Amino acid sequence: MSLIEIKNLRKEYSDAVPLQDVNLNVEEGEIISIIGPSGTGKSTLLRCINRLETPTSGSIQVDGANVCDAGTDLASVRRKMGMVFQSFNLFGHKTAVENVMMPQQDLLGTSAKDAYAEAMEQLRRVGLESKARKFPHELSGGQKQRVAIARALAMHPKIMLFDEPTSALDPTMVSEVTSVIRDLAGTGLTMLIVTHEMRLARDVSTRVLFMSDGGICEEGTPDAIFHHPESEKTREFVFRIRSFTYSFTNEEHDLYELLAGVESFCTRQMLGGKAANKCRLVTEELAVSYLVPAVEREKGKSLSFCLRAAEEGGEITIEIDHSALLQDPFSANINAVSQALLKRNVQRIHDTPQGIAKFQLL
Amino acid sequence: MQINRTKKDNALTLALVGRLDTTTAPELEAVVKAELDGVQNLTFDLSDLEYISSAGLRVLLSAQKKMNQQGQMTVTNCSEEILEIFEITGFSDILNIQ
Repeated sequence: MSLIEIKNLRKEYSDAVPLQDVNLNVEEGEIISIIGPSGTGKSTLLRCINRLETPTSGSIQVDGANVCDAGTDLASVRRKMGMVFQSFNLFGHKTAVENVMMPQQDLLGTSAKDAYAEAMEQLRRVGLESKARKFPHELSGGQKQRVAIARALAMHPKIMLFDEPTSALDPTMVSEVTSVIRDLAGTGLTMLIVTHEMRLARDVSTRVLFMSDGGICEEGTPDAIFHHPESEKTREFVFRIRSFTYSFTNEEHDLYELLAGVESFCTRQMLGGKAANKCRLVTEELAVSYLVPAVEREKGKSLSFCLRAAEEGGEITIEIDHSALLQDPFSANINAVSQALLKRNVQRIHDTPQGIAKFQLL
Repeated sequence: MQINRTKKDNALTLALVGRLDTTTAPELEAVVKAELDGVQNLTFDLSDLEYISSAGLRVLLSAQKKMNQQGQMTVTNCSEEILEIFEITGFSDILNIQ
């Protein structure tokens, strides 16, 4: 029997049906990443598994107990599952170590001394032993999330459920949390991770589920999902998350926002410093020399800028759709310095439809 | 970007920290305009400059033009990446890079 068995799971609200008909078996030791667009039921699925949500119909067996059955001792089933939320949910008036001790004392009846020893052990595991006496407001977002992970681990769960554990974090703090999850992946713990961090999903998972429209649209190994997706929806999703789009109009273009967007995209794609600087430079030079003057010349018209990165240090391309403009933005004469910088860092690909300019970073 | 100023007699050092781009170049331009009077030795310390674009290069060029009339300008501690930008754009022939 599988550790988790989900059959015909459906969850309805009065105004939406986040889960239509989900069937899933999870074996002990599996690490499953659940990816997909927002609002497709990923978090609802996790919340149904530990019964934070009551399913409308279907069944969920966790380690042999049906959590949908009214007679099941939910508290004992939940003790087998640790859950980490997007928003940390730490008690602000308690220190890090007290936050990790509390559920052990309240739910397992562990003595203060043992709970303290366990809490310190788990804080050590997530690299936060030295912050044990700090209050949540004294910790960074990444540190708070690591405390939340330590708190879940201190209960020695059989299953860990991560609900978008890095979504609320500043990009610079994502890697400290994903590193902890990567370390856990090597311990044999069964894990279900709802995430938008595709690199994490690809690197740690034994299986990836792509959810769409309230169901599992496609599942497979990370290689199958990220490199050879079968369904059109999966392909679209996997492709889209590797791009950053910005729209220029005469009234609304903000170079701060554009450059900050490119920077955050480069961080998400884990592009190295040199590649990230190149993306920034090419974006800035194209924007200042061609794109901003073009939309300022033609009032009310817009153009779109799209930066795409292939996986694993593959090619980086920029596509500019200027089909709405009367004049080709790239016919303008630009200053020699920008021209030299662009010539060295980017190559225009000429075989593109009219109104679309494509560039490849060198 | 952060601009750290050190002035001693008629020598001014501007240490640039972070990124010199379209959004930060006007800030440096304002400092250059306001502080160059009477300066005979201007040094740009670029040891902590991570990035420079054409907008930043233009400010360095205008500082160089001004210093050509009243003294000398030196650019020091450039990273390999910044040096490459100077090379590509021909700025390595215009600036005194040490």
